[in-house]
Amino acid sequence: MYSGLLAAPPTVATYSYLLDWYLFFGVGAAVVVISMLAVFMIRYRDRGERTPMPKHKTEGWKIVLITVLISVTILSAAEYQTFAAFGNIEIPSSALCLQQTGSPCVQVCVQAFQWGWNYTYPVNGMTCAESYNHGLYSGAPGNLTVPAGRDIVLNLTSTDVFHSMGITMLDEKEDAIPGRVNQMWFEVPSVQVTASPDVLKVVCNPGLTACTYVDAIRCFELCGVGHATMLANLTVVTQASWNAWTGGQSA
Amino acid sequence: MYTTNHKDVGLLYFFTSCYFGIVGAVLALLMRVQLSVPNNNFLNAFYYNQAVTMHGLIMIFWFLSPIAIGLANYFVPLQIGAKDLAFPRLNALSYWLYLAGGVLAVSSFFVPGGSASAGWTTYQPLAVLTAGSGPTLTYLGLVLLAVSITLGSVNFLTTIIWLRGPGVTLSKVPMFTWFFLFTIIAMLYAFPTIIAAFVLASTDRILGTVFFTTQAIQPSILWDNLFWFFGHPEVYIVLLPAFGIIANVIPQFTGRPLAARNAILVATALVVIPLSFGVWMHHMFLTGIPVALQGAFSIATIAISIPFDVITLAFVESLIRGRVKFATPMLFSLGGVVLFIIGGITGVFLSSPVLDRVFRGSYFVVSHFHYVMVGAAIFGIIAGIYYWLPRMTGHMYNEKLGQLHFVISFIGFNILYFPMNLLYDMPRRIFTYQNVGNWAMLNGIASIGAFIFAGAQILLAWNVLHTWFRGPQAPPNPWGSPDLEWTSHAEGMSPAANTSSPAPAGGWIGQLSSAPAAAAASAEATPYAAGEHAHLSSRPLQLSVGIMLFLAGAATWPGITALGLLVVGGLVVIYAFWEWAKDDMHGRFTMPDEAEGERWPFGGVPKLKLGMWVFLSSEVVLFGSFLGALIFIRAASPNWPPAGSIHDIPLGTVNTLVLVTSGLTMFLAIQAIRQGDQRRLLGWLGTTFALGSVFMGIKVSEWITLGTNHFVLTNPTYSLAASAYYIIVGLHGAHVTAGLIFMIYLMKKTSSGFYTKENHEAIENFGLYWAFVDIVWCFVFPLFYLL
Repeated sequence: MYSGLLAAPPTVATYSYLLDWYLFFGVGAAVVVISMLAVFMIRYRDRGERTPMPKHKTEGWKIVLITVLISVTILSAAEYQTFAAFGNIEIPSSALCLQQTGSPCVQVCVQAFQWGWNYTYPVNGMTCAESYNHGLYSGAPGNLTVPAGRDIVLNLTSTDVFHSMGITMLDEKEDAIPGRVNQMWFEVPSVQVTASPDVLKVVCNPGLTACTYVDAIRCFELCGVGHATMLANLTVVTQASWNAWTGGQSA
Repeated sequence: MYTTNHKDVGLLYFFTSCYFGIVGAVLALLMRVQLSVPNNNFLNAFYYNQAVTMHGLIMIFWFLSPIAIGLANYFVPLQIGAKDLAFPRLNALSYWLYLAGGVLAVSSFFVPGGSASAGWTTYQPLAVLTAGSGPTLTYLGLVLLAVSITLGSVNFLTTIIWLRGPGVTLSKVPMFTWFFLFTIIAMLYAFPTIIAAFVLASTDRILGTVFFTTQAIQPSILWDNLFWFFGHPEVYIVLLPAFGIIANVIPQFTGRPLAARNAILVATALVVIPLSFGVWMHHMFLTGIPVALQGAFSIATIAISIPFDVITLAFVESLIRGRVKFATPMLFSLGGVVLFIIGGITGVFLSSPVLDRVFRGSYFVVSHFHYVMVGAAIFGIIAGIYYWLPRMTGHMYNEKLGQLHFVISFIGFNILYFPMNLLYDMPRRIFTYQNVGNWAMLNGIASIGAFIFAGAQILLAWNVLHTWFRGPQAPPNPWGSPDLEWTSHAEGMSPAANTSSPAPAGGWIGQLSSAPAAAAASAEATPYAAGEHAHLSSRPLQLSVGIMLFLAGAATWPGITALGLLVVGGLVVIYAFWEWAKDDMHGRFTMPDEAEGERWPFGGVPKLKLGMWVFLSSEVVLFGSFLGALIFIRAASPNWPPAGSIHDIPLGTVNTLVLVTSGLTMFLAIQAIRQGDQRRLLGWLGTTFALGSVFMGIKVSEWITLGTNHFVLTNPTYSLAASAYYIIVGLHGAHVTAGLIFMIYLMKKTSSGFYTKENHEAIENFGLYWAFVDIVWCFVFPLFYLL
């Protein structure tokens, strides 16, 4: 059995927590150093006769040492927070997903192309390569459809050029590269979430069993003239709707 | 314009790069107009993608680096008390190749299908799949530029090591020269990789090789590794000259020495430069590399920020107990430091592979690198322009106008780039966007800032030109600097035999025209010392024009115009080389003698030999990049033909022995002339030539056999293996052929009795080159034939 804490995909909170640390250190360092510059600039401005003669002390090895120590401390603290979040970006293989997360992951195969995204939902443990020949679940075209509250693993590849899939409402991104399968994983906690303002609009059905986040998916690598319009929607459904849609074929 | 004088070439670089800077700025403004409001249709995606691509390429390759090279051309020899660069004609050649590359790149806008449009990063396979000859022109232009930079680096490195004047020990070398030395070391080993990358991409586009179109080998990853291995050092290549200027300027306006000068030098030499070649994968965090590798490169990346903390803090500390005068160069230096602090800190954010999931490919990245490459680098360069303007023109600029220029630039810059930090969820390089979130407002603000920042630069242009023609006489050392470029000037000494007096009215500008009449006039107008007319050479210009025409033909192939360009370009190249050789035979080009100065630590090595060693070390990286690409392809390729199935191993072995033997005979040739025996020299040179020719002959017969046995690019079974074989072995063959041609020249000179026991530097250097070519084959042979 997998022991210890269960692995979990990164969430918006994972990123904002980490970002807060970096902002704390970064803004702090910038304010301190730029203030020092400003203070010295004014304090030692040229005032003609009244300025004391400059002292010629050149080698500030002591200052250098202090700078290095402070830098190393701050940078290590920041890097520590990054490494702490590595547990979230390490994606379990589909075979180990149940063991490591406590539930099987929903695998989705994504093919990027000029200019759009194809989604295939493999059944019964099929690989993506096998699944491409079996078109499954006719969802609304162009919408990536996932169940809420589950760990979703996207298996990204590209049929032509380098693309990069970004779901900014989840702060998630991964490159889609020809000849290669990259993975991205995430969880949408509920059908209706507070989406970041760059989602064009949110459309939910009356029973709130499905919500579509319009233009939630964008391409983040220049891929030709259609790059700017390589947008797609994300549809989040309840577990019950998901089961009904997949006919129980998906894990 | 045939000058090889370092000051003239420096000014040519300066004004040419300003021209390219204006082109790049116009492209940027076009983009900002398009993005100023949502759903705009000022530029469509086709034009926008070209603008975004060429803006990046032109600004980085044809503006930022060359303008620093221009200042370095002018001031590095002055700062170290050298009469000129080590190889003046090579310097002129660097300039003309740079310009030829730029002409190719800019001309690509005017061919059907437009210019390159795959981003300055030229991600594959998009870049090789984009139709039209425009991108090919740009990429070949870039190869020319990279060759120019590599040659320039060899030249500068030799100059700084070997041509320091008496008393200019390393500890007395000014900061700008130090930082430029670091820059060229980075250039020397970074640019060969970009040559390899763009040669592979260009052969894909022209000859139909399949390096970046074979999906099975993950060509995007191959490209990312090649490109970013170059790309990250490139950031420092752009940044360090500006840091050198800032480090040079700050003490002038504080009246106290720079704090922690040695710490700055040590940090840059021992940490920044070596580590800059070890962080490239932080550009690839989301390409699916293992998490452990992401962690390692993340640590390397934050580690490289530590020397910059030291440098920045030293700059700040340099104000303490000084008398800070707020002259324009000082304002731009301090402004550059502030902007670098902001750009550096956003860089630390990007060093986190986790946060990279939020920021990758967004405007946060755009903001980050513009704070570094525009904020720190351009502000530093502008500081240098104001600082040295009195030295270049003999006139003083308008101080009030300079300060106004700084204030507007600094404010405009932040209005332009700070909002982009907040646009961290907007993808880069999209030509339009819908009105979501606060994108419309932030983009609108940025566009206003762009016009303020660009408008401020008109003040700079006006100030520079006005100073040049109408400015009041400047004192010889207006800043009271202890550096040699000012002190020798003030004392009326001439460390460099050239123009220490202000140029005659119209003289400089007249030189910028390439019309022969103007060239002649400028040769007259420039007050060369007596005998300096031998210092002119038309060969660099002819050679560059020839190569440019040839490459233009290659890019637009096939077609009758292309054929014409290829033939004419080829003939011009042959003519230029022929005449260059004849010039040397008849001793038509003489260099000023250099007084024995400070040469530590390479005092025992002759100048040309040092240059050759430096050049060969750069060639190692070139072949290393090609062979690295080959190994990547081999490892990733699912069906590589097994050893012995394609290549004739016994024949290859014999041929290897032939080449190795020729290395031995070359050594005997050197031994012969060391003993002063010209007849034996000629004999062994002839033997070496014969063996080299046999090698090439066998090579050609092998290629014919391979071609008839379907080992060709168009055969899908072998296309990848054939691509790698023909390009890499072909590159080696080209080196051998170049060696053979040079040997003919050496034999001709030998038979006229030129080389003696005392004077046979050329033979020794050629021996080095030939040994290098042999050694490379010893790597190429097993990789293709045996494994």
